[in-house]
Amino acid sequence: MSLKEKDEHDHLGWMEEKQLSPIEKGYLFTLIWLDKRFRVVDYLELLETMYYRVNLQMPKSHTEQYNLDNKFWYWYPLYALGSFSTLAYVVAALSGALLGFYYTPSAAAAETGTVAYSQLAMIMQDLQFGFMLRSIHRWSAQVMTAAVFLHMLRVYFTGAYKEPRELNWLLGIVLISLTMGFGYTGYLLPWDQLAYWAGQIGVEMALSIPIVGEWVAQLVFGGFSLGAPTLQRMYILHVFLLPFVVTSLIAIHIAIVWMQGIAEPH
Amino acid sequence: MSDDNQPDARTDGGTGIVPPDDETPTWSERKSRRAGLPRLTYEYFERARREDQDLREQSTYVERDVLGFPTWPHELIRNLALTSFFVGMLLLLSATLPPHIGNPANPSSTPAIILPDWYLYWSFGLLKLGDLNPAISLLGEQKLMADRTYGVLANVVIVGAIAIVPFLNKGSARRPVEQPFWAAVGMGGVTFAFTISMLSIQNIMPMNVSLLFDLTFLAPLVVGAITYAVLKTMREGYMYDLNRRYYRLRPPK
Repeated sequence: MSLKEKDEHDHLGWMEEKQLSPIEKGYLFTLIWLDKRFRVVDYLELLETMYYRVNLQMPKSHTEQYNLDNKFWYWYPLYALGSFSTLAYVVAALSGALLGFYYTPSAAAAETGTVAYSQLAMIMQDLQFGFMLRSIHRWSAQVMTAAVFLHMLRVYFTGAYKEPRELNWLLGIVLISLTMGFGYTGYLLPWDQLAYWAGQIGVEMALSIPIVGEWVAQLVFGGFSLGAPTLQRMYILHVFLLPFVVTSLIAIHIAIVWMQGIAEPH
Repeated sequence: MSDDNQPDARTDGGTGIVPPDDETPTWSERKSRRAGLPRLTYEYFERARREDQDLREQSTYVERDVLGFPTWPHELIRNLALTSFFVGMLLLLSATLPPHIGNPANPSSTPAIILPDWYLYWSFGLLKLGDLNPAISLLGEQKLMADRTYGVLANVVIVGAIAIVPFLNKGSARRPVEQPFWAAVGMGGVTFAFTISMLSIQNIMPMNVSLLFDLTFLAPLVVGAITYAVLKTMREGYMYDLNRRYYRLRPPK
């Protein structure tokens, strides 16, 4: 680009006064010719930016900066727990979507138990890879819950909840509760004996809440005793409501971590 | 564009459509157009940015805006490296330990053992604290609230206690040795989570229930006390090392 306004667009004149070698002249001529047609210069700038981005120097970490004994790697598995729970969540979401193709949240009577139960038996006995699919879903849920609990302990014992990370700690408490809600609603879906009586405990717990207890039982379990509405509501909570809420909260949780950095022990 | 706040004379019939200005106003321009709270906001932003700039100029190392381990790229690249290993572990678990399905739901036969999934044992255990529910002698030894209500409230209390931790424990101490009390509270809490879970499965525990009940509350206290004592003992040597290496460079608040 020229500095003086009068040379604007007079690229050939600009080349004349530069006394270039034939190779330089040929190169520049081709470049100008192409640039007039395709505005190559923009793309070159993009490439240059990418070059610098790729070759960015890693900033020093806290432990390197202060020359602390760099034992960070030693605790590293504990620092990966949050990301492990996110991964397990993704695996559970994928396998759960596949399971959802075959499951029916119906408490209507069937040959063995209810329709929901016999669908589950179908998934486990007749469906190709159905047993494995349920196994993957169940194990990823278990591992996610375990990872979330351990993640909370890691954050507690390394003091990572302190200023400026208090809000993320509160958000984490909401997330751990919702994770257990996910687990509980999923536990009820097979509608076997375990599920039914765990649901019974849930209704009784809801009814024991002072003042709003009956309202909560109606809203969450669809009545004071278990039945078709309960199964339907657990299903909607498990596959519709909680996924939306938990996914967005996880996104916010991770975004805050991204902005604030991982708290290292001092 | 006129920067004054006088309404322009409407000569075009007054569509109210403002032509877009391709010049983004600078912070000081925005500030000069504002009054009250928006103005305070901009003034704060300018001040904060100036402080950031001063910090950057003082620093002697490659720039970092946050005092933490960078999430990108450090943390995420290492986590991505662990991803396939982790998913492989999940698949291995699923293949080797397949899930169980019980008998179909039968409302007319209550099983001997009713249990939620393991991660809810602690909450289930808190429902069995009826023995701790105080009886008020004024009310003729009546309990103030039903045992069930008491159990549900215990859940709220536990979650609330965890939630207010960051607002009680302040300061820049991070390592357990720097804060023996809070480490002891944490270890006590972990032990309590374990013992209360054991209490919740009392009918399959090979143990006297009243002994189990006492242990539920004693064990956390004992573990907490031991943690406190150990960390206090370790503290001096550990803090000497920390002071030598770290606090000299970056004094705690």
